[in-house]
Amino acid sequence: MTNNVIETKDLTVYYGKHRGIIDVNLTVEKGEVFGFLGPNGAGKTTTQRVLLDVFPPSSGRASVFGLDCQAEGVELRSRIGYLPGELALYSNMKASEFFKMYEYLRGENGSKDYWRELADRLDLDTSRKIRQFSRGNKQKVGVVAAFMSRADLLVLDEPTGGLDPLVQKTVLEMVREAKADGRTIFFSSHILSEVQAVCDRVGIIRDGRLVATQRVEDLFAQRMNRMSLIFDGAPSASTFDFDGVTELDRSEQSIMLEVRENLPLVLEAAAKHNVRDIETHNISLEEIFLAYYSKENGAENV
Amino acid sequence: MFRLLMQELKFRGNAIIGWGLGLCFFPLVYISIYPSVADEMAGLADLEIYQAMGVSLGNFSDWVGSILLIFLPLVAAIYAIINGTGTLAGEEEDGRLEMIVTLPLPRWKIVAAKALALSIASFFIILVVAVVSLIVLQGMEGQFEAGFGGMELLSAVLFTWPLVFATGMIAMFLATFCSSRRFASIISAAILVVGYFGSNLSASTAALEPFEPFFLFTYLDASGQAVIDGQATGDVLVLLGTGLVAFALAVFFFQRRKLTVGAWPWQRAKVEA
Repeated sequence: MTNNVIETKDLTVYYGKHRGIIDVNLTVEKGEVFGFLGPNGAGKTTTQRVLLDVFPPSSGRASVFGLDCQAEGVELRSRIGYLPGELALYSNMKASEFFKMYEYLRGENGSKDYWRELADRLDLDTSRKIRQFSRGNKQKVGVVAAFMSRADLLVLDEPTGGLDPLVQKTVLEMVREAKADGRTIFFSSHILSEVQAVCDRVGIIRDGRLVATQRVEDLFAQRMNRMSLIFDGAPSASTFDFDGVTELDRSEQSIMLEVRENLPLVLEAAAKHNVRDIETHNISLEEIFLAYYSKENGAENV
Repeated sequence: MFRLLMQELKFRGNAIIGWGLGLCFFPLVYISIYPSVADEMAGLADLEIYQAMGVSLGNFSDWVGSILLIFLPLVAAIYAIINGTGTLAGEEEDGRLEMIVTLPLPRWKIVAAKALALSIASFFIILVVAVVSLIVLQGMEGQFEAGFGGMELLSAVLFTWPLVFATGMIAMFLATFCSSRRFASIISAAILVVGYFGSNLSASTAALEPFEPFFLFTYLDASGQAVIDGQATGDVLVLLGTGLVAFALAVFFFQRRKLTVGAWPWQRAKVEA
């Protein structure tokens, strides 16, 4: 029996002639936090909306908990807590009224104390009308609504958008706790630090196509070192001509290298040319992510 | 679905009170002033402009028919259009619909709950007016010869509801079909206005006669006799049937709709297919 909570096969959505997503093949396993990365308009929200049957795919298929997203949408939505990216709420309601309504409409009872607990945790005043809320407080309402049903799968579209850093941290803690409870989280974002902080795996979507899926730890295992070497006089271009080493920049006295392998050879060569100083820094997940977007043709993996 | 229906009715609570009380203007003013204008109005009974508007003012039952059975459903239908187009297309445009369609509810139940809520709300608005009409008429007992009783008046006002129901369902269908609230409102309003004038003019213009069955107001008798005898059962059934067909179409199109919730397709990045 498959352990996949989400599975998509050649999932494609077109809005008329406009591209939504193209041939997205994706799996999210039970109990994992999957980070769905991509800039605005890449297709993150479209993918999530197909999973919730907000609209049908143009071709391909998607299933959640083994249930077809179109044919069995009602059943699967009862097991999903959803935070939309473009959150629109009933502004004339108090936050508490909204949570009661949402709980009532989902046909759930017994989460009363839980939404209060979540609201307290996010420092949300539920006695105020939603129209009086700032963007951040409205986002808190959406976060509470997504978490309050203790659903098996959380689909969160940029959950920390508009939140202050302290609350962002709390939301990420809530994600970790949900994972610890054995729940699955499908988490879209373009904030890499938070993806790095909570996700087990990431998928990178570009222009509607899923260009890579990898474990976060594997991405880091592949990360590169960038190294600046300062000399009295920079050596010739062929000095660091080793496999896995790329010269990025040079001046009269310095050379900048990208070193993926053969670090001892680089150091040995540098020592032969009276190196005065060496500066190194690791390439972040953000830079790896940006590397995907700088490539002209879609890459399969890093 | 029951839960969504209750919630939708809750949302419409203020509308029922506001529109209901607002429309009470008709019976409060027009019934109470009748004794003072009766003679003057009787003299205007044959004016062509009144005939074109379906208005006849010869006696009290004609007066009531012309005011309550024409203008009340006309204004109540405007509420039905505002609500019918706002409830799905409006929610889609402002993004709130996403919270609803991602609930564990089938789409047909969402449309059904909203249609039912609109129908109940419009019925209650008319019920408020009907009850106030009855009270005003009872309060003026003895001041003039009405020619019919309070229950006839109550029934006459309540039977304007099928036209409001049909209009609301048509508006809802158009909203699910074209997804633009503005567009759906314009077409619904055009159907209402053309239906009103078309029905009255077709009675006096031979060229319009073939189109008479297509005008909604053809199926609402606003004569004084209708106040006394009630609406023809066939006409009521046509209006209810029209509403039900429009509702079925609304369900059909909403079921198949690619909801845009937020950004319109033409606002998205364009790529060559």
